[in-house]
Amino acid sequence: MHRGSGFLSPPVWGAMAAVSGAALAGSMAVAGRRLDERRVPLMGVMGAFVFAAQMVNFPILAGTSGHLGGGFLLGILLGAPLGVIVMGSILVVQALLFQDGGVEALGANIFVMGVLPCLLGGAVRWLWTRGRPGLVTHAVTVLGGVLAVLAGATAVILFLWWSKSLPANVTLLQAVGVMDFIHLWIGLVEGLVTVAVVRFILAVRRDAVLGPAPVPDAKGTAV
Amino acid sequence: MTSYNRTTVLAGVGVAVVLGGMLSYFASASPDGLEKFQLDVGAARPAHDGVHAPPVAFEEYKLKWLGDGFWANAAGGIIGSLVVMGILLGAGWALRRRGARPRL
Repeated sequence: MHRGSGFLSPPVWGAMAAVSGAALAGSMAVAGRRLDERRVPLMGVMGAFVFAAQMVNFPILAGTSGHLGGGFLLGILLGAPLGVIVMGSILVVQALLFQDGGVEALGANIFVMGVLPCLLGGAVRWLWTRGRPGLVTHAVTVLGGVLAVLAGATAVILFLWWSKSLPANVTLLQAVGVMDFIHLWIGLVEGLVTVAVVRFILAVRRDAVLGPAPVPDAKGTAV
Repeated sequence: MTSYNRTTVLAGVGVAVVLGGMLSYFASASPDGLEKFQLDVGAARPAHDGVHAPPVAFEEYKLKWLGDGFWANAAGGIIGSLVVMGILLGAGWALRRRGARPRL
């Protein structure tokens, strides 16, 4: 979903650079005050995982592929601020080292694939922190993955529209319809993969995600 | 380095090698969601001035000096994943707070 260079007009990429820059700066400030050292290795591994997973395009529909976004997953495992820092690092490396995504579009790309899905993931995170995840937690997470991808896809179209880069023969609504239909299926995979990875990481390193195991009090209930 | 840190970093290297270095070679070459939209709807022509980083070492995630086969792709995936992990471990260890109180 990386926009290459030249699709966004200067006011659009400028505004999004400001928004994402502020989000990154705020996240770094929060991390600087409260980052637990047990989160750091998980940040590194998840960064490597999401970067590598984005290279693995899977086929969907006819003649189309999709790849994991990963921001939603990062939001759940690390919370929104750390998720934005990890996603920002990935997108900067992709843009500067691999020419994937225009340099001027970095702010917009960080917003679409980092800020938006990380906020949604951060909202779903608390469901996973409350004891044994049940059907509701799983269903909400799959649905959240779909929503995260659709939110990003819709934002991309709005940026293109605002930049006057949509062709004259389609309306904004048509463009959103086409884009969101393609990404509905990608989002479904995103949601399912996110559930699988969150379950796996919680099974092997629950404390890295949620802090130390809760200490049972006298009544045997975890506090 | 604690055994937790060592194990986790090794897991990251494993992910980089298996997913970035090997599986990515078998990725679908079909246009992705955004590219498919641009093909279908026709918003394919950049209308503004933009900047792409110069392809110094990599092209299409392949290390240029290794051609464009499996090994060039493997080098791109592994180096990219490890660079990301290195940046995050460096930044994270610089920003972290020790002790019981911090929670994030």
